[in-house]
Amino acid sequence: MTPLPALPAAVERPGPATRVVAALSARGLKRRYQIDGRPVDALAGVDIEVQPGESVAIVGKSGAGKSTLLNLIGALDRGYEGELRVFGRELRTLSDAELARFRNQQIGFVFQAFHLLPQLSVGRNVMLPAAFGGGLTDGEVETRARALLAELGLSDRFDQNPAQMSGGERQRVAIARALLLEPPLLVCDEPTGSLDAETGRQILAVLADVRARRGTTLLLVTHDPAVARSADRTITLAGGRSAAGEAA
Amino acid sequence: MRVRRLVGLIVANLATQRLRAALTILGIVVGTALLVFFIGLGQGLRERVLNRIFPVNQLELEPRAVQVFGIEQIASDVPLDDARIAQVARLPGVVRAFGKQKSGFPARLWGGKELIGYNLFTEAFFDGMPAVVLRSELDTIEDVAAKRREAAARTAARCDVDLDCLAGQGCRDGTCELVVWASRFRDDLAIVLPCAASADCAQGVGCHGGRCGSGHSALPAEAAARCLLPESAGNGRGLEFDREVGVLARPCDAQGDFCPIAGSACPAGTYCAGDDPDTVLGWCEPPLPAVLNPLLIEVFNSDMARSLGAAPLASLHALYGIRFHVAFGDSYFAKDAARDRQQVKQAVVVGFSRKAPELGVALPLSLVRALNARFRSQAAAQVYDAVLIETLSNERVPEVVAGAEKLGFQLSRKSRAARTVGTVVFVTALALILLAFVVLLVAAAQIAQTFALLVHERRREIAVLRALGATRGAVAFLVLGEAAVLGVSGGTLGVALARAAAAGVDLAARAALAGVPLLPDGFFAFPVWAAPLGVAVGIVFCVAGALGPARRAAQMDPAEVLAQG
Repeated sequence: MTPLPALPAAVERPGPATRVVAALSARGLKRRYQIDGRPVDALAGVDIEVQPGESVAIVGKSGAGKSTLLNLIGALDRGYEGELRVFGRELRTLSDAELARFRNQQIGFVFQAFHLLPQLSVGRNVMLPAAFGGGLTDGEVETRARALLAELGLSDRFDQNPAQMSGGERQRVAIARALLLEPPLLVCDEPTGSLDAETGRQILAVLADVRARRGTTLLLVTHDPAVARSADRTITLAGGRSAAGEAA
Repeated sequence: MRVRRLVGLIVANLATQRLRAALTILGIVVGTALLVFFIGLGQGLRERVLNRIFPVNQLELEPRAVQVFGIEQIASDVPLDDARIAQVARLPGVVRAFGKQKSGFPARLWGGKELIGYNLFTEAFFDGMPAVVLRSELDTIEDVAAKRREAAARTAARCDVDLDCLAGQGCRDGTCELVVWASRFRDDLAIVLPCAASADCAQGVGCHGGRCGSGHSALPAEAAARCLLPESAGNGRGLEFDREVGVLARPCDAQGDFCPIAGSACPAGTYCAGDDPDTVLGWCEPPLPAVLNPLLIEVFNSDMARSLGAAPLASLHALYGIRFHVAFGDSYFAKDAARDRQQVKQAVVVGFSRKAPELGVALPLSLVRALNARFRSQAAAQVYDAVLIETLSNERVPEVVAGAEKLGFQLSRKSRAARTVGTVVFVTALALILLAFVVLLVAAAQIAQTFALLVHERRREIAVLRALGATRGAVAFLVLGEAAVLGVSGGTLGVALARAAAAGVDLAARAALAGVPLLPDGFFAFPVWAAPLGVAVGIVFCVAGALGPARRAAQMDPAEVLAQG
């Protein structure tokens, strides 16, 4: 595997600490929405702790609060009550710009529907996060993108249009994009939801490989038991609350 | 670096939706094109048309008049003499001031046989004007600069008579030389006027040997030398040597331009002018330099040519050098002067000016003064009818007008018309420019709508960008950047369209108005700032239209959009 160019020192990383900082720590996490003027608790008190390098599946029925929790952990939403720390940072205290920077450098997103930009080539999709931060030169970004695509078995697809690729290939492109700036946390929302079983297994294998090689913390939101089984442990959400973790 | 990458994203976004982008900027293209087109037209009408007809910084003032029972009368008894002209010249903002004198004597003229086959006869009116007032316009219309360039490029041909030379050249001293008609309109010209006493002549000019001596010859020195009479030859009527006019004139036979004393014809460029209509012997002198208003030709072409059975005149240049006769003291309408006071002179067309009277002839001021002195009085010859002034700049005109009004002047009808036309052009151009802005506003509204739709269609893409680390500012930058690129494209295309349309209009006008005298090269003048302004306006209206959608895009909640699946 081609080693990826090192990230500049300016990019925040969870540095060596005297004590291990949890990748994710939620205590009494609540999220309330107003629907038709009535308050609805999407999350009614979630307690989670995920250690760096751990792979955790969050499962639950529809409406259990999985997406809400994902948005909070992914720093897309900070309208919560309680405590939510990602790599020691209380997300509620970050400004809008700081949250954007946090997402850019600490979190990689993998979506069920891939969400690749059709107007960009595969390579430019992968390089997209560098448009918003990372401090890499153009050359470094391209080298990293090519290395990631090669690592994910797409070495000759750099200039291809994503529309010409299969679902599994597109999801691998999305994973490459999520890994461009080497985020320590990968948040995957139903990563195999749009794929057939075989391709889904391949994607899970890719994610496992990524975690093994890089020590990336994996958070998998799914209702697919197969995906849940691929994680170290499972956290079940029900009625906006977290149930006890269960080792896979 | 980050901005460059975002710009790359903007370009990629636009590249995938070329048709939509083209449709989006259609309104901006049209609006910008209208704006630049009307700026060019307004400026062109002012610079290329109006300023040529009525130079903005050149005004004509006349003594303030009042209406008495519907008749205009000059309000002041103070004559408009040199002292008052000097007073006007001292006004702040005035560069120089000159008097203009109208003819106050009966006159009629006839001519045109060379052009239309027979002579036209008409009452004649004259404006006496200093040469300096007309110089620039005469040179421009005759294109003297081009003539001189052409002459410099050619080797002078040998000749015996004018006919040996090319058109526009005359034979002088055996060599073909360029004829510059405009240069014949000079202040130091004199004509031979018979007199009984100095009172018959202009002020400062004496009556010598029965003729007013009033200056130097307009003849070339060598021609004048040939024409000089020996001093001893002066022994009777028409044969006296006059130091004042002798260099100009010599006695001749009015029937044949023959000089009985010298035994030869009048020198080239002169004719034999009789003392009065009944005199056989006269004096060789150059024809009076006449400047016509080009409007006269337009009137002839549009209203007179057909009824006279004549062909319209294709160009003013056909009229240069055309001679006609003027009978001073003779009138179709007014009481004639005594027969022995009348004079028949020749005049030659030496140029065209919008400052010349529309239905009359401009002559050098000195000649009109001399004629007014002869037919009216010495005092009348000292009074002007109007003041021609040149201001330091266009911006000083209102100040100068205000100052002149305090001195008892008002703008002449011509200058009032010029200011009115100028105002009409300005207001019309302004209204059309406002119309262009209305089109641009509509275009901006359309852009707002298009971008709102675009942002809605791309809301998931925007949410993904936010998830990847795009700040709200970056999202707004992407939307506004697309608008700005569209603005640059729309503005540039609009400017190009305006220039193309202007060229087309000029081309069509040249074809449609062929034969109209003094047609300008074009009706448009695009200031250097017009193109950058067009592009800037395109950007401003596109970005303004996209502001709302950009704000909505920036404020979009990515979590909510992504949750929608």
